[in-house]
Amino acid sequence: MRIGQPEPKRANTTLLVVLVAASLVLLTVYFREGDDGILHSARRATLAVSAPIASAGTAITSPVRAVSSFFEGIGASRERLDALEEQNDELHARLAELEEARQENERLRALVEFAEERNLAKLGARVIQRPLSSWEGVVVIDRGSEDGVEPGMPIIAAQGLVGQVAEVSARSSTVRLITDQQSGVAAMIQSTRALGVMRGSVGGALSLDFVDRTMLPQVGDVVLTSGLGGVYPKGIVVGDVVSVDDRRGELYPRIGVTSRVPVDLLEEVFVLVGSSTETDAGEVE
Amino acid sequence: MRRSWTTVGALAAAFVLQVMLAPHLAIFGVVPNLLLLVVITLAFVEGPSAGAIAGFGAGLLLDLLGTAPVGAWALVLAVTGYTGGMLQENLFAEGWLAPVTVAVIAGLVADTFYLIVLAVVGASPEFWASLVQVVLPRAVYNAMLVLLAYPWLARFLRSDRTMKSFKRVA
Repeated sequence: MRIGQPEPKRANTTLLVVLVAASLVLLTVYFREGDDGILHSARRATLAVSAPIASAGTAITSPVRAVSSFFEGIGASRERLDALEEQNDELHARLAELEEARQENERLRALVEFAEERNLAKLGARVIQRPLSSWEGVVVIDRGSEDGVEPGMPIIAAQGLVGQVAEVSARSSTVRLITDQQSGVAAMIQSTRALGVMRGSVGGALSLDFVDRTMLPQVGDVVLTSGLGGVYPKGIVVGDVVSVDDRRGELYPRIGVTSRVPVDLLEEVFVLVGSSTETDAGEVE
Repeated sequence: MRRSWTTVGALAAAFVLQVMLAPHLAIFGVVPNLLLLVVITLAFVEGPSAGAIAGFGAGLLLDLLGTAPVGAWALVLAVTGYTGGMLQENLFAEGWLAPVTVAVIAGLVADTFYLIVLAVVGASPEFWASLVQVVLPRAVYNAMLVLLAYPWLARFLRSDRTMKSFKRVA
């Protein structure tokens, strides 16, 4: 499989040095400029360009789920068989569409009920792009600044907290998931009321850090947003405790948490826009 | 000039596929890096300098697509493209083993270097967890894709197109 090369290509060390220097300049400029700087603006422009492409990709791949087998042999005449197969194809397609509509209806109904229970000012959105890289837990939604979305707004699903808006273009936004390694959520354990910080990781696992070891949770306890910090409203489900490791010699216990939100299957979410009404953390089963 | 346009076309196509298709090709959360495949192939067929330039461009596109500091992927892929070209010149492997070996090594170098850059700029990812959960699986995944895509990509990207037979390319 090797390509025959007439002569070896010469390595240009100066070129590499220039490119490395240019990269370091970009990194420096990125950290020093504000949100209106050229690189941040270029990122928003890229988001605006890539969102329709991502949306098309999602649309192209979604019908695959509805594919089923249409080939069944029966003892009938060729013409009759062809007519039935044609009708069968149409009905299968129609059934897939209706099933898709039914499932979407259920998901949206659950979302609306979830948000209305908490009197949250919300805006429905569709997920149009899944994480592009294994390094980042980031998805893209089809709502942007034209819809009133701003960086920092919380994102929820029917099962609980999804993440936070990171970058906004006119008609789309990137959402940093709570499972991303750079995410941090002020959280509390429902049963013990112990406060902590929920952090994500590269692999998507959640851990609850800085919890007072005198207020340890049990496996299965529910973790909610605490409302501290003012980013997320109080009382939104973040996940369930799956492990508690209280080792001696360590300042804080290691608490593993799993999110209830199926990130890989997420299709619709709510953006919590404007002012929201804080509610007490109710009982969650 | 023609080679430049071919490279730009290949990177643009890889950008579109990365946005449109790559998220849906994820296996256990491991998303392939299609732009890296183009960089590796170009480095392999055109040498270190072409690999470094293509790597810088591809890295910049990845930077603009993500949320990490802009410049990190550009730095990593420029070095990876250059390293890939140097590897090809000094590699004793032949046949299908050569591009796959370069892909595995370049993939490992790229993601490990990116991990280090993230740590330097303050993202502080867990090193060993990242190595096991991202770097190694992605290197294997990318190498498998190189095995499938390399003959076609190499034929499209190399400047010497006098060779007509695919059998002689592969």
